[in-house]
Amino acid sequence: MMHLTMEQMNDNSAVSPTLNREHFVKQIEAHLDQLYGSALRLTRNSSDAEDLVADTVTKAWICIDSLQDLDRFKPWLLRIMTNHFISERRKASNRAIHESYVEESESDDEPFSLFERLHQPFLLWWSNPEQEFLNQLLKEDIETALNDLAEQFRVVVILADMEGLSYQEISEVLDLPVGTVRSRLSRGRSALQKALWQHAQEPKNSPSGE
Amino acid sequence: MTKKDVKKIECEEAIRMLLEYLDNELDEHNHDSVEDHLHACRACYTRMEFESRLKNVVKEKAQEKAPIDLRNRIKKISEQF
Ligand SMILES: [Zn+2]
Repeated sequence: MMHLTMEQMNDNSAVSPTLNREHFVKQIEAHLDQLYGSALRLTRNSSDAEDLVADTVTKAWICIDSLQDLDRFKPWLLRIMTNHFISERRKASNRAIHESYVEESESDDEPFSLFERLHQPFLLWWSNPEQEFLNQLLKEDIETALNDLAEQFRVVVILADMEGLSYQEISEVLDLPVGTVRSRLSRGRSALQKALWQHAQEPKNSPSGE
Repeated sequence: MTKKDVKKIECEEAIRMLLEYLDNELDEHNHDSVEDHLHACRACYTRMEFESRLKNVVKEKAQEKAPIDLRNRIKKISEQF
């Protein structure tokens, strides 16, 4: 992760038309849990996630003038964080890209539906398998499934499903056409459901499994 | 839009648009078509409920609390702004 120097920070002490220092800090504090949550899902480890958040806050302050509209604080911040994450990853290792980049056209791509797996007539006979499945999902299951997603799908799923950004906002954050956002989100969710399903088929050895 | 204008769609089409419906990302025309179908079709309604709950579970379980060390670090950083 990159670390910005004090000179770089002090260079830009201009007061934003939208946000002064005190308000900026308040906004950051209010968004910190969310920011860290997304950072952790992006980086998949807590120390990188903390560095990513720290760098994001510094960068955000440096380019505070680019924040036009206070209502757009969250997407603005997420754009800075996501871009920083992606560019650091590219810089850090080509290996990472080979590891997790999946071609748009690559097609192990049967859409997968959890609902269709669960909603079987013979299961419906005696219970509500969908609800049971949802009830049994642990935090760890969701984490594992998200971590398994290839990076370009993971990013989109995080922005849509964790942060609740609109497709338009995601397209602006990632500089992608809205159509690409739609297709990545759809493939990402399908892969997420598949991972949750496969994970549920494995024998449980979790200590919290009572 | 009057009731008559809502285009009738089949299950397959409703399901294809279901996640975008839940994201509130369909245009008004398609949104109304899916909504109409869901009111008329129990199977698709059940599926919609499942997808909607799953979406909430993912959102809820993926959340984190920022560690106290990070909060302190951010405080330190922003004192230098
Ligand atoms: Zn139907």
